[in-house]
Amino acid sequence: MEFFVYHDYMMFTKSVVYVLMGLFVVGFWGLWAFMTSRDEEIHKMPEHHKE
Amino acid sequence: MTAETKKTLFTPVNIISGIFLAIGLVITVLRFTKGLGYVTNLDDNNPWGIWIGFDLLCGVALAAGGYTASSACYLFGMKKYHSAVRPAILTAFLGYALVVFALHFDVGRPYRLVYPIFVSPGTTSLLYEVGLCVFLYVTVLAIEFSPALFEWLGMKNLRNKIHKLTLALTVFGVILSTLHQSSLGALYIAVPSKIHPLWYSPYLAILFFVSSIPAGLSMVILEGTLAHKPWHHMMDKTYQDEHDGVILGFARGASMALAAYFCVKLVAMAYDNNWHYLATGWGAWWLLEVLGFVALPSLLYAIASREKNIKLAKWTSALTVLGIILNRFNVSIVAFNWQLPSSQRYFPSLMEIGLSLFVVTLGVTIYRFVVSRMPIFFEHPEYKDAH
Repeated sequence: MEFFVYHDYMMFTKSVVYVLMGLFVVGFWGLWAFMTSRDEEIHKMPEHHKE
Repeated sequence: MTAETKKTLFTPVNIISGIFLAIGLVITVLRFTKGLGYVTNLDDNNPWGIWIGFDLLCGVALAAGGYTASSACYLFGMKKYHSAVRPAILTAFLGYALVVFALHFDVGRPYRLVYPIFVSPGTTSLLYEVGLCVFLYVTVLAIEFSPALFEWLGMKNLRNKIHKLTLALTVFGVILSTLHQSSLGALYIAVPSKIHPLWYSPYLAILFFVSSIPAGLSMVILEGTLAHKPWHHMMDKTYQDEHDGVILGFARGASMALAAYFCVKLVAMAYDNNWHYLATGWGAWWLLEVLGFVALPSLLYAIASREKNIKLAKWTSALTVLGIILNRFNVSIVAFNWQLPSSQRYFPSLMEIGLSLFVVTLGVTIYRFVVSRMPIFFEHPEYKDAH
């Protein structure tokens, strides 16, 4: 990709970073949901089934 | 010497430690009698070698367990991690003390190491900021560690007085760690033309600080794992009961911290528009570091935390520690002066490697001495529940 002025370069890199940041927010939510999903299953269990 | 003494003294670990320490002493004599040029491969292009890249950068990053564990316990009120604090503080104190010790070998005039603090402070220099923070933090860690020493020595009054400072010391420790962990990265912002663009970033300070969090958490897990077998008899019931909870809790924290580190790494690369470097050999090396030693351990920690898989968390901690070491080596040595012909590139001499092994062995030896005697893995009977 060619950039003729610094403004073009900044527009491109900043836009890419904003898109990445959006993906990261979703990714973080996914990672946390994945990591804690079994905790919720344990909480939902009847008392006598818990460890 | 009795047969029993021989049996306990001449163990394989003691013999190997003795060999490394003896080699280190010889190199120490050579360094201070014949100079840096005799024992190192350093030159004008590469004035900082593995004594900075490994002993200092890795030493400081891996000693971050001190501030992460103590802030989890004392600042965030997660008392279930209390048993991990003392081992973490000990590792951090030894780590930082050895960083300062190793620095004496690397500076031209080691007897002037105190000059920036007491004689001629260069307040506009990042190195001054790092030096001041490390000086203050070693002092803080020494005070934080001292209750264990005083409990062992039976100095009850002094121990109780210092114990009251715990919260203030923790706050001070977190502030100092935030400052110098990031400043070590910021040091390399001064050399944009020397570091490969994939590792150079205006965000180096943030990258170093963020990566120190999973490094510290992983070191606590790894250290607990390595210490579990030889010092099992020193660990009290509280430590053993909390052990699995500490590993799984820290694994969860490390997973999120590694994910954050991965995101900042990608943002830094995208912001500088370095995508085209990914298709080169350097790009493959960068991807190996970022995918294999940052994204993969983050995922493995998440799986270990979800499945309550202690063994996986322990192996992942080793992978994370390796990843942090690889990153510090890449920034300070591998990707440093990347444009120079291979004949002018730096590779450490055997004596440099020998001295680094000497420093690590010294740390392990002191650690073994301390945990075999002081209340690190157990609560002193006279101070039970007095934390």
